[in-house]
Amino acid sequence: MIPMLGRALVLLALLAASGGALVGFATGARPTALGWLWARRLAYAFAAFMALANLLMEYALLSHDFSVSYVAHVGSRSVPTWVSMVSLWSSLEGSILFWGLVMGVYVAVATRQNRDKHPEYMPYAVGVWLACGAFFSFLLAGPAQPFATVPGPPLDGPGPNALLQNHFLMVIHPPFLYSGYVGMTIPFGLACAALLVGRLGHDFIRPLRNFLLLPWIFLTVAIVLGGWWAYEVLGWGGYWAWDPVENASFLPWLTATAALHSALLVERKGVLKAWTVTLVIGTYLLTILGTFMTRSGVFNSVHSFTQSAIGPTILVFLAAALIFAVVLLTLRVNALAPEGRLETGPSRDVVFLVQNLLFVLFTFTVLLGTVFPLVVEAARGVQMSVGRPYFDRMSVPIGVCLLFVMGVGPALPWGRATGRQLRSALLPPLFTAAALAVLGFVLGVRNPWTLLALFFGGFTAQVTVSELLLPVRQRMRSHGESFLEAFGQARQRGQRRFGAYIVHAGALLAIVAIAVSSTMGTSKEIQLRQGESTTLGAYSLTFVNAERVSEPHRESVLARMDVSKNGRPIGSLYPRMNQYESQREPIGTPAVRTSLTEDLYLSIHNIDPGNRTVGLLVLVNPMVGWIWIATAIMALGGLLALMPAWRGARVPVTERARVATASPEGSS
Amino acid sequence: MATAPLPDAPARASRVNPWVLGAGLAVVVPLLAVLVLNLGRDPHSIRSPLVGRAAPAFSLAPVGGGAPVSLASLRGRPVVINFWATWCVPCFEEHAALTASARTFGDVQFLGVVYEDDEARTKAFLADRGSSYPALLDPDGRTAIAYGVFGVPETFFIDGAGRIAEKFVGPLNRATIASLIAKAKGGGP
Amino acid sequence: MSRLALALLLAAAPSLAAAPTSPAPAGGIDAPRGGPLSGAELDARTNEIGGLLRCPVCQGLSVADSPSSMARNMKAEVRDKLAAGYDREQILTYFERSYGEFVRLDPPMRGVNWLVWFGPVAVLVAGGGVVAWAIKRSARNSGAAQATDPGSVPSDLPSRDTLPADARLAEAVRRTRELAYDWPGGVPPKPRPLPS
Repeated sequence: MIPMLGRALVLLALLAASGGALVGFATGARPTALGWLWARRLAYAFAAFMALANLLMEYALLSHDFSVSYVAHVGSRSVPTWVSMVSLWSSLEGSILFWGLVMGVYVAVATRQNRDKHPEYMPYAVGVWLACGAFFSFLLAGPAQPFATVPGPPLDGPGPNALLQNHFLMVIHPPFLYSGYVGMTIPFGLACAALLVGRLGHDFIRPLRNFLLLPWIFLTVAIVLGGWWAYEVLGWGGYWAWDPVENASFLPWLTATAALHSALLVERKGVLKAWTVTLVIGTYLLTILGTFMTRSGVFNSVHSFTQSAIGPTILVFLAAALIFAVVLLTLRVNALAPEGRLETGPSRDVVFLVQNLLFVLFTFTVLLGTVFPLVVEAARGVQMSVGRPYFDRMSVPIGVCLLFVMGVGPALPWGRATGRQLRSALLPPLFTAAALAVLGFVLGVRNPWTLLALFFGGFTAQVTVSELLLPVRQRMRSHGESFLEAFGQARQRGQRRFGAYIVHAGALLAIVAIAVSSTMGTSKEIQLRQGESTTLGAYSLTFVNAERVSEPHRESVLARMDVSKNGRPIGSLYPRMNQYESQREPIGTPAVRTSLTEDLYLSIHNIDPGNRTVGLLVLVNPMVGWIWIATAIMALGGLLALMPAWRGARVPVTERARVATASPEGSS
Repeated sequence: MATAPLPDAPARASRVNPWVLGAGLAVVVPLLAVLVLNLGRDPHSIRSPLVGRAAPAFSLAPVGGGAPVSLASLRGRPVVINFWATWCVPCFEEHAALTASARTFGDVQFLGVVYEDDEARTKAFLADRGSSYPALLDPDGRTAIAYGVFGVPETFFIDGAGRIAEKFVGPLNRATIASLIAKAKGGGP
Repeated sequence: MSRLALALLLAAAPSLAAAPTSPAPAGGIDAPRGGPLSGAELDARTNEIGGLLRCPVCQGLSVADSPSSMARNMKAEVRDKLAAGYDREQILTYFERSYGEFVRLDPPMRGVNWLVWFGPVAVLVAGGGVVAWAIKRSARNSGAAQATDPGSVPSDLPSRDTLPADARLAEAVRRTRELAYDWPGGVPPKPRPLPS
């Protein structure tokens, strides 16, 4: 019964989306109130059917209904309940179903929020959204059916991939990732609408920017959660391996970040409209390319699925979307003429352009490296790899340059800067820059790129704090408020700008932490007998014993390691080796002790309780915890920047003009 | 018309932007071409570069002790080297085929190289299932590395001149063994 | 702006200089070319070269990072060869003979591989040129009738859809638009209003 019901819901979603897309485009071309009403209704219907289909699948998973093909694929009676719930997005067809749910929610919210605004754009936008929705519904109805009927339902299933049962991060990483990834459909629709209408008005850049920022926040967190998961679960001691699927999530983030910045220039000066629209469209296309990379089985990756009909189907959609984008841009980009002009000479404008260039360069490099083995196979017939050494070597200079630009840009004024302005803007932060670099050198940093990162990090930190507090200082001067009062007022009136600088603070912290943790770590591989100790840095580890733990779905061996630092015992860590029923090779779970300065990381290579020996990898990674903290800061900043839009806080025009003229160096 | 320009729209020379078209095609066409050409490719099956080249030399001790067997001493006869392990399920399947073929093809030297396994288990396995050719131990997996072994079972068919005629990945059956031996005897790739 | 291009090119140089150059391996790796290593330097170099080799049975991990027994065997092999005095290229070539170019994580410069090294540099230089061109073009194109000193323009930038924030300017713009374009109130008439 459930399979049939599920298939019906998917089919209904497909019908709603296809119909809604047609109605949307027709209404955009020939607007009527009825057309817009039905476009909205079909959008809501699509969302509702997708949500129901997902609920039905969750029910099937939790009740272990093995007559549903997806449940037979990944369900199991012997896994904990939370694993059953999470199985919805753990595997191929289920994750596409989940994609449909997230898309439905986004489309419904975006449609409802804009139901009485931007009348010339919205029908087109809904049309584009539902066309994308129709494709994913088609996938679910055809090549990637999760609700196929299993003729002789088995009594039990294999359960999801063992690696995915190892850690609770599996619960939150995919929802965040999909909220980010799928969310990029919304700004894509808005950008296409702008092109189809033939203009990008000042009032329309705001929803475009907001609906770009919201998925961006999710995507930022999701990418770092993925890295955190790799760090805590995979056991090799690192958090980013430039795996094709990791890159697939990173590429749209890069173009989305660039688009957020160039959208600022559109809002301020009415320039770079066509470029921003191109970046937003590129972001969405990269998400489709990314999903192709993950699901086609063509790329060699940790996440790879086996080849199926899904790959070619997504490729067809990707090709269609690419061609649609190129044609639309070719025909309409001339209509998005700039209304202002960019500043020549040293100014924030130029730095914005350089920053955009760096992001595009980064995107190109990562994309090229990821796709290159396929290029070579097609050209030379040789199988080769492009791995971490290449990506690290390319991304370090770009990352350091971005760090630099993040400091120089906000320091410069919007207009053409005089020599005096340049000096007063760029010289003071050099103090913090030098101080941080010297501190690093004293603490043992010798890698030139890391020292440069520290130098620029200090520079950017001073600029960011200074810019953050600029309106506060001005208010204290002009209104005589105390620091706290001025801070609260400045934050409330310029929350977007406030949030943006907090994001910058988080970003610079992340870059510096990545630089330090990747170059200043120490490691040791050692075989220990029971009772033996080893030291690494200030830590001393003793292998106390190995114990077995039985769980319904796995057998584990834990090694108890007593840890002391600088002679003082600080507790025990329990790295483990897990043997899952469905896997031949055991999978290890490392034990990580995080502190503000560094992580102590223990990973078991081999363990023999009988012989009482353990083969261990010990790592001391400095500043890794800061990467997670920095990401939280970035997410918080993003939320702050987003919230004024939702609160509808609009400072009246005259008030804004007064505030603006009071701060000639340029508030946001 | 839906997209009639509003009254003060700036004058446009043409509606088509050739630069955007050129840039777009320059990105889209190669990307799609690369993806389409690679559909159907299995990224996990790696072709061996050793086929057609001289087989790496080795000198390994057999299970249960005895004089080491070196590849050089077998020059002049075709050699079949089968990498296997007791924990590998497909290896069970092909063990019978290999044992029988070794008896059939008297002029071909069959060798088994044990991969990532321990001697006691191997001895027990062979005692249980019998064997008609030596099983060699490969401490530290050096020979497996020299032969570019990814996993087991993998089998190398070497001709009389010491060149690898073919590498077969996966479990063998008697028919395949026979045809690949014929290829090794025939000489050349 | 040519200085910008030169600066970008210089910035890219270190990346290019680090690209490994070697032809496809032909015969054996002959005699060791370097001197034998030991102690901490041996460990460091083993890790370094281990990081350049791909573990054949893992998903994208390097030999240095992978815990699998094949990777550990390969690492031991690297260590032995370093102790015997072979240099980096010889050791990489040794593994490449057995496993193919697939095992090298850093693409060597041969065949069409130059593209992955020069591509980013080319994009950087071309991008720099586009940025320069965009700035020059924008300076030529005066755009809409806006203030020449953008530093003092209020953040609510006037555009086709709204009037400027400055009251006197707004009045002037409004009258102009009413006369020239017949727009009531100085803003374009609501295109195709749709009651919700």
